[in-house]
Amino acid sequence: MSYAYLFKYIIIGDTGVGKSCLLLQFTDKRFQPVHDLTIGVEFGARMITIDGKQIKLQIWDTAGQESFRSITRSYYRGAAGALLVYDITRRDTFNHLTTWLEDARQHSNSNMVIMLIGNKSDLESRREVKKEEGEAFAREHGLIFMETSAKTAANVEEAFINTAKEIYEKIQEGVFDINNEANGIKIGPQHSPSNPALGGGGGAGGSQAGGGCC
Amino acid sequence: MISRVRNVVNSVMGGLAALPQPPERPQPDDLELKYPYCRPEFLQLSQDEIQVSADHVSRPIMVPREPNRLPWSAGYAEVINAGKSPRNEDQAATTQLCISRPARTSNRNTNKANNKGNNGNSGEDNLQQEAMTEETEEMDELHFTYFGVFDGHAGTGAAIMASRTLHYHIRDKMADVSELLLPVTYEDQNHPGSGSNHGSGSGKPSSRVITKEHLIIGALERSFCEMDSQIERERLTFRITGGCTALVAVFVLGKLFLVNAGDSRAVLCRNGEAIPMSRDFTPESERQRLQYLAHLHPHLLSNEFTALEFPRRLHKTDLGKQTLYRDHTMTGWAPKTVTEDDLKFPLIFGEGKRCRVLATIGVTRGFGDHDLRVYDSHCQIKPFLTAAPEIQTYDMLEQRFGEDDFLIMASDGLWDVVANQDACNVVLDALTQFHPQDPNRYTSAAQELVMHARGTLQGKGWRRPAEDKPASGDDITAFIIPLYHYGNQHLSSPTVLSESEESSTREMETETEAEADPGPDSLDP
Repeated sequence: MSYAYLFKYIIIGDTGVGKSCLLLQFTDKRFQPVHDLTIGVEFGARMITIDGKQIKLQIWDTAGQESFRSITRSYYRGAAGALLVYDITRRDTFNHLTTWLEDARQHSNSNMVIMLIGNKSDLESRREVKKEEGEAFAREHGLIFMETSAKTAANVEEAFINTAKEIYEKIQEGVFDINNEANGIKIGPQHSPSNPALGGGGGAGGSQAGGGCC
Repeated sequence: MISRVRNVVNSVMGGLAALPQPPERPQPDDLELKYPYCRPEFLQLSQDEIQVSADHVSRPIMVPREPNRLPWSAGYAEVINAGKSPRNEDQAATTQLCISRPARTSNRNTNKANNKGNNGNSGEDNLQQEAMTEETEEMDELHFTYFGVFDGHAGTGAAIMASRTLHYHIRDKMADVSELLLPVTYEDQNHPGSGSNHGSGSGKPSSRVITKEHLIIGALERSFCEMDSQIERERLTFRITGGCTALVAVFVLGKLFLVNAGDSRAVLCRNGEAIPMSRDFTPESERQRLQYLAHLHPHLLSNEFTALEFPRRLHKTDLGKQTLYRDHTMTGWAPKTVTEDDLKFPLIFGEGKRCRVLATIGVTRGFGDHDLRVYDSHCQIKPFLTAAPEIQTYDMLEQRFGEDDFLIMASDGLWDVVANQDACNVVLDALTQFHPQDPNRYTSAAQELVMHARGTLQGKGWRRPAEDKPASGDDITAFIIPLYHYGNQHLSSPTVLSESEESSTREMETETEAEADPGPDSLDP
């Protein structure tokens, strides 16, 4: 379970666009048509490989409801990547993207990689937002873009992995200060200079320094 | 050379001073943990999630995934500190438990005459017993609902242990008096005043009448004492680090019992108005108790501290001059001439949150801390701490409760920055956004309240933007417990504590053990 890097992601967007379903599809490879409302924040994690390196993605899935907005906002900081999700069958969720993006830009670190996701691509017959519109919005705001389906799993892997690739490249270019935890990147335990043993107390025990690693 | 001699002398002296300690005690570090670090069970966090929850940079507010796992879909939220300790040292627990009356031969044949006759006509007795059991079956159980908040310090061990076991101690201590608590019969309900007619109490006119409420209070007091004793015993075989405060709410027999040993706080909100349900125990609020203890047992100060309080720390230059002081008998101040003894460090020193006992600890009640000593000294802290709680009761049947009436129980991380009424207002505001039947209603409110105290990270510090004031960097834990479930469900239930039946508790010995002064009890090492 050792990894070279840990990237912290945050998933944001209007309520009901499928944020929790995207996470579940990515971490558990399953789809749950009826999902409880996310109240605060939920976490998921999965290991991926980029450039021969093990990378752990720690994903924070947030509540989309307006009433939880101030809490959600407080989680932007400390994320290396964000998935900004809208529902291609609901025009209003697309219209709200500007607000979400302003929010994210204002409260996150400036290097955060943002992936725009048009979800529910399986519901072609009910589509309200053309793929070209998503592409245009992404181009205009300098985002990566994909349409996904949490139901059929189409492009879900790619969405998470392509975001990680972008972050990884930024690390290679030296854009990210990987020693600053607030950037949402941690170096894996075996790579850090001092690592006081992982043993003891059921996984959570042992390590003293800096909250440990997920 | 001299220093080496001094070292030898010191170690010999140290050895002598430590003599009362049990010999060859294993070092705590060698022992196995009693419980590994964890978060409350109802949060259902995986090991991975437990680690993410300890993110000091983002300080995620954790809420139960399935709010209806908590009794009455009560709300809960917690957040870790801003970096003062690697782990969240708060803990919480909630459960619903039941005690039942042990098999017995009904009220009528508990007297000695019948017991003696058991050999002769046991068959008849059994018949009678069965009849009685059937008659009172529904009421031979006593259900209670429990919530607990534990704020740990100097480690997570004591708080985790208390959150895992205190409710069982409460159940056991209540079970010890189940014969007196149960049954609550239909007769008591339908014919007020008839309760005292049966039972052997009438044959002992001299015995004092003890109400069921006081039996519950006694059980709660005993359970706190037992919890601390258990930690004291088991720390010899397990590693149980630190200590913790305890704030417990028990809903039973139509009443709410608020049990407090520490500086967590319970506030009841009814019709929008905040009613404090506990008092904070701090070195400042407990000054006179602590000073009295030092007055009675001066050796506890190890000749290093003075029990008196002065308006400021005194120095050599103050010798022979006048100063103001107060001791355990005083709330006001009086003059005295400064002597050599007055130059020692004060037993209680510091203001507000910085106030410490023996320059070491900022809380005065709770569990654990059995090995805590003054830094670089043999001076023990524990004798000044006590597990004895203060209990407040609230009648849940006198009035109807609405969906916006609730009880807040929270650790000092919340109350350090939010006033009682403000906390109620934040919750009330959050409640308006959810339908009364929405299971997420109280959880969302709890989250909102914790968010209000945690604030947001601005620059380098956590601040509350709404009021532009510093936020709490401490661990924060909060329950929001709706009151209408319990109040209204018990309006028609037989298992309630009403005036009519209180007199039915019989022949309870008056020397309720828990009344004993906790001071001397905890003085013996």
